Amino acid sequence: MTIFSTNNISKTYANHKALDKVSINVEKGSIFGLLGPNGAGKTTLIRIINQITAPDEGEIYFMGEKLRSEHVHHIGYLPEERGLYKKMKVGEQAIYLAELKGIKKAEAKKRLEYWFNKFDIYSWWNKKVEELSKGMQQKVQFITTILHEPELLIFDEPFSGFDPINANLLKEEILKLKNNGATIIFSTHNMESVEAICDSIALINKSKKILDGRVDEIKQQFKKNEFEIILSKENDISDFIFDGVKLINKTSDLNFQISTLKIEKGRNADLLSKILQKTDIISYKEILPTMNEIFIDTVSNE
Amino acid sequence: MSKTGIIIRREYFIRVKKKSFLVMTFLGPILIASLWIIPFFLALNSDTQSKVLVVDETLMEKNGIKSSLYLNKFKNDKELIFEYGYDIKEAQDKLNKGEYDAVLEIVSTNDMPPIKGFLFYSENEPSLSAQSTIQSQLSNILKDHVLKYDYGMNEKDLEWFNNPKIGFYSKDIRSGKDSYKEIKTFLAIIAGICIYMFIFMFGAQVMKSVSEEKTSRIVEVLVSSIKPVQLLMGKIVAVGLVGLTQLVLWLVLSVVLIGGLRTVSPQTFSEPQKENITINERVISVDKVGEMTSDSSQVNQVVQGLFSIDYTLVILMFVFYFITGYLLYAALFGAVGALIDVDTDAQQFTLPITIPLIIAMVCFPIVINAPSGGVAFWLSMIPLTSPMVMMMRIPFGVPIWEIATSMGIIILFIIFCMWFAAKIYRTGILMYGKNITYKEIWKWFKYNN
Repeated sequence: MTIFSTNNISKTYANHKALDKVSINVEKGSIFGLLGPNGAGKTTLIRIINQITAPDEGEIYFMGEKLRSEHVHHIGYLPEERGLYKKMKVGEQAIYLAELKGIKKAEAKKRLEYWFNKFDIYSWWNKKVEELSKGMQQKVQFITTILHEPELLIFDEPFSGFDPINANLLKEEILKLKNNGATIIFSTHNMESVEAICDSIALINKSKKILDGRVDEIKQQFKKNEFEIILSKENDISDFIFDGVKLINKTSDLNFQISTLKIEKGRNADLLSKILQKTDIISYKEILPTMNEIFIDTVSNE
Repeated sequence: MSKTGIIIRREYFIRVKKKSFLVMTFLGPILIASLWIIPFFLALNSDTQSKVLVVDETLMEKNGIKSSLYLNKFKNDKELIFEYGYDIKEAQDKLNKGEYDAVLEIVSTNDMPPIKGFLFYSENEPSLSAQSTIQSQLSNILKDHVLKYDYGMNEKDLEWFNNPKIGFYSKDIRSGKDSYKEIKTFLAIIAGICIYMFIFMFGAQVMKSVSEEKTSRIVEVLVSSIKPVQLLMGKIVAVGLVGLTQLVLWLVLSVVLIGGLRTVSPQTFSEPQKENITINERVISVDKVGEMTSDSSQVNQVVQGLFSIDYTLVILMFVFYFITGYLLYAALFGAVGALIDVDTDAQQFTLPITIPLIIAMVCFPIVINAPSGGVAFWLSMIPLTSPMVMMMRIPFGVPIWEIATSMGIIILFIIFCMWFAAKIYRTGILMYGKNITYKEIWKWFKYNN
């Protein structure tokens, strides 16, 4: 089921076109990666989703309806450039931000107590934000983003500024939110995290969407029929290669010979059965392209 | 509570709870009072008196009685004490020994007038006021001499002639009340300066607050919950309410202060007895007017003047211009705040706003001098200066159509400024690391948010 979609949205600023007929489709309960180089138009798209700006043309649908201003109560947004009132006390500030998302004060307080205890930061309640470290501020901001239990969450580079331990904590929380039914739009440059948590992605470059779909499908789409095969070191892969199979790389260590092959014609089974008639195969696996490679390939081929 | 309400509540309480607000609330009236009191004390304790020896070669001694045209004619005052002699050499010796601070040598002739001029010796350059005092006293002495001996005027007439205590009473043609120009001037200046300070202080607060939200980047979170216009309006209203709170507290404190003074010195600050004297009687009865200049009755006159002004109009207009002036400038300051980034130069944007404010201030004397003149009229129509200038004119009486026109113009202009500010604001707050120019701002009007 689609929770959020855009249909051919375009946005032009005075000097340049920020978005050009971009359509995306976000499935309910999924983590959707919004990828693209700097200046591609991701921030503009995120601001449009948050109704900070409006598109010049195109439609936006949220929970089956056209996006309306009341929908902000169901959307949580963690911008890339984090910011809180520096002189305001942590607890007061979190309640204020929750109230702006339509939560009653008492309810906000109750939920905050839960989260502050969970993140073990309850003792900061009466501290001013400027007294906290950057990482602490990030935690507070994360809590304020999810406190109103939004159906749709937008995280712009959520891991930046977190140390590995807290980044991991955050990742777990994001996955928990997903399991609880929330949908997450996740904008990042960090392709490893895309592989780790995204179900589907859209790649935007120069204000156009150039690629989208489920991460596993995209990987299949971009695979090059390359395989890694490990034989014991007495064997040489070259002995088994026939026409249609190209040896890309070959290395040996103490025990094994590791090689990379590209099968241009024919089936893997032909190669495997040829080897198996002579010797054992220690390992054989398909090499799927990483999201990083797909990203670089697609963007540089534009 | 509406979202704008939530914004207003936060913006209001965060300011009112600040220590600086409390300090200003109590120190403000004291500071302002001290602005009036300090110059007064400084004037009281100004330079010590200088001793001047008047040397006059015509000074003669007859039968043990000294006499001269000038002898004992100079009046001592706060600054100068005069003594008399006739030998210039001796006088210069005394000056060198420090017995006197200055020597005034009068060079006489037998012609009319019987003086050629005077020479002034002193170690230090005489102050401007000392120079003018000596000059005017000298000319008075000569004038008296002529009037007395050539025209036979007696001592009493001479006294009146020199100081004809003719009070200046103007009467308002429409109401028939006394016009009390001084008190109105005082009220006009207070009202004008009050609005000016309020606009500057609280307008700048709106600007600062907007630019803080922008540079701390919290604004992006905020505008994902509310519309930028709501945020800006909430802020402007809240800061305005803070200002009004401060003003009301100052008024309350002042009333308490005056109440305290009344109990300490009841006759000075109490309401005046209504006198049933017509203007004509006053001008004729010179003696009575002379009495009026004694200290306590002067205060009495001030108090009486204070009770003669149409306060309902003044207060209503003050509230109106106070609020509209603030709203107008707060919107503009808010727009400027949205343009300021960490490293952009705020000057280029604040200058066009502060210039009209400064023009209004610079023109205060002109307006006070001629409250119905051309400068006053036009400045009270132009919405950027009218809150201050019209407020200065109102105590003197302004035709209703002028007030209405000025009010209409400013209301229309506020609507325009709010629209203008909202447009700049919502684009500006999300514009980072870019040098914003006027050309750029113009472009913002061409696309919709």
